Amino acid sequence: MNSKAILAVPVILALAGAAALAGGPLAIGGSIPMADTKMKGVDGKEVAIADVKQPGGTLVVFTCNHCPFAKAWETRIVELGNTYAAKGIGVIAVNANDPKVAEEDSFDVMQQRAKERGMKFPYVVDATSGVARAFGATKTPEAFLFDKDGKLVYHGAIDDSQDQGKVEAPYLKNALDSVVAGKEVAVKETKSIGCGIKFRS
Amino acid sequence: MPIFAVLLLAASAAAPAKTAPMPSPAAAAGVLEEVKKPGADAVVVNVWATWCTPCREEFPDLLHVARELAPKGLRLVLVSVDFPGNEYATQGFLTKQGVDFPTFIRTGKDETFVDELERQWSGAIPATFIYDANGKLVRFWEGKASYPVLKKRALEALALKEKP
Repeated sequence: MNSKAILAVPVILALAGAAALAGGPLAIGGSIPMADTKMKGVDGKEVAIADVKQPGGTLVVFTCNHCPFAKAWETRIVELGNTYAAKGIGVIAVNANDPKVAEEDSFDVMQQRAKERGMKFPYVVDATSGVARAFGATKTPEAFLFDKDGKLVYHGAIDDSQDQGKVEAPYLKNALDSVVAGKEVAVKETKSIGCGIKFRS
Repeated sequence: MPIFAVLLLAASAAAPAKTAPMPSPAAAAGVLEEVKKPGADAVVVNVWATWCTPCREEFPDLLHVARELAPKGLRLVLVSVDFPGNEYATQGFLTKQGVDFPTFIRTGKDETFVDELERQWSGAIPATFIYDANGKLVRFWEGKASYPVLKKRALEALALKEKP
C-alpha cells in the first residue's frame, strides 16, 4: 500500500507536468477538438467545425485581422482555402482574438476582410477562445490539417517565408496535396513566428 | 563630419533622449552567443515587435527590471522580429523607450530561428527566456508578464548563482 502511494506521486506529478504544458498543441494523430462547438461566421450563421468537415479532410486555420504575420499570409490562406475547398477539403478560418485587446479583430472587420479577400469558406469567431485553447493554438496564423479519418496530419506554418516571393517550402500546400492524394504527409510539424493569440480571460 | 556633429548636437538639443543603437541582425546562434557572453549572472531574452501590443505594454517593465537588477548581474537581450525594412521604426521605438544598449533584429527563416533559439517555443510573441550564469535556460514563457512577475523571475534566476 505504501509502495503504491509512493508510486502514485510521480504519476500525479507527471500528469501535472503534462497539464502545465497544456500550452502544447494537439498531437499529430489527434482528433478535432470541440468539433461541435458553434461559432458565428461572417455571414451571420452559426457554424461548427463538424459542419464544414468533408470526407476528403478538414483544414482549420487560426488567424485574425490585425496581426502583421496573419496579414502577410492572408492572401495565401484564402487562395489555399478556396482551392482545396474545391478539391473536397473542408476549410474554416477561426479568429480567437479578444477584440477588446486587438480592436481590429472585431466581427465587422472580419466581415470586410472576408469580402475583400474573396474567402469562399467560413471565417468564424471563437467567442470564448476555447476552441483555440482546445487545439493548443498559440499564435496567428497557425494551421491544423486533418485527414479523411479526422486525424491531425499537419500542424504549423502556411509556408516558410512571410515574403511570398521567397517561399522555398510550401508546407501546408504540400500537406493538402498529400491528404487529397490519400498519401502520408511528409512534413507534419513546422514552426513560425506569429502574434500570440489574445485569449479572452 | 563637422556638419554631422552639428546635426547630432541639434538633434540632441531638441530631444534629450539618445538615439538607440540600430538593432543588429542576428540569427538564433547570435542571440545565444550574447546570452553566453561572460559577465552576467542571469540573462533575460525578450522577443518582441513594434506592432505587437502586449510586447509594447511590457516593454517599460522589462527595462525597469533590467535597470534595477543590472547591478546584481542581470543582462537584458532584446530581439525584435519586425519585418525586414522596418529597422528604422524599430530603432525609433527603442529610442522612445530610452534603450541605450545594443539590441538585435532576427534574420533568416523564422522556423530556423524559433527552433534554434528554443524548441519549446511555439513562435508566439511576446516570448521571454531566462538563462542562468552558464547560459542554461531556467524559465520560458509566451505572453506578457507584469513588472512584479518579471522582477521575481529575474531575481530567482540571479539567486541560482548566489547559491553555494
